Amino acid sequence: MPKGQRSPDRLAGTERSALSGFDELTIGASGAEARRASEWLDTTCRQRNVPQALVERLALCLHEVLANVIAHGGGTALSAPIRLLLEVRLEQDCSKASVTVSDAGIAFNPLLVPKRVLPKTLSEASAGGLGLVMIRRCSDWLDYRHEDGRNHLTFGTRWNLR
Amino acid sequence: MSISYDDIGDNLRRIVISGRLDVPGTDSVAAKLGELIAAPKKGVVVDLSTLQFLASIGIRALITSAKAVQQRGGKMVLVVDGGSSVLMSLEATGVDQLIPVFRSAADAERAAVA
Repeated sequence: MPKGQRSPDRLAGTERSALSGFDELTIGASGAEARRASEWLDTTCRQRNVPQALVERLALCLHEVLANVIAHGGGTALSAPIRLLLEVRLEQDCSKASVTVSDAGIAFNPLLVPKRVLPKTLSEASAGGLGLVMIRRCSDWLDYRHEDGRNHLTFGTRWNLR
Repeated sequence: MSISYDDIGDNLRRIVISGRLDVPGTDSVAAKLGELIAAPKKGVVVDLSTLQFLASIGIRALITSAKAVQQRGGKMVLVVDGGSSVLMSLEATGVDQLIPVFRSAADAERAAVA
């Protein structure tokens, strides 16, 4: 348990309620900004008592989503702000943390991309396309909608406080 | 972000990468990694035990490096801290099944030149 974090099963209902909530960040589309988003996610999740192992999974997903927007989102994605929304719900039975990334780039629904068969040997391995593999493996759920000219991709993790 | 190396005898090169292999981190070391990998050593150990974060762009650089070593008849292996998110990245993408991963530097060095 990282310093400053309380064991989740010791949290009273009022504390769980106080730690639950939303946080937002707006960033530009660049590698440096993706790193700033990672730092924000880490700090904010710690403050809201999200287990560190899950924060690391969310951070990987966030980085991969942002890298994809930067590389493939097109000119609009690069010139418009990217909005991030972190939602944490601490409940006794099932807690959840999710991140929604909203960007103005080319519409892209990752849920429609067929799952990739992982190579068995190094010779078969392709160096690209691993970002979506990582997002799928590190998140417990994915949601996507395209609304008002923006992609809204949500990924999340859940855990049990008991 | 840092990358350094030392040669252990004639056949083995150890490359140590620290920091974050995210987009900016990988951009800053990719060219140097390619240069270090190109040395005609039989075995290459890439030590990631002090790496804090490994994104897919960093994994891509590792796959490209491992293939380059393999194509000249050598072998590249990794050293990773067991409880780290770096191992999680390798496992999530299945790359731990393609490039041998060790917790101990000594084991990695033996495997690289075996």
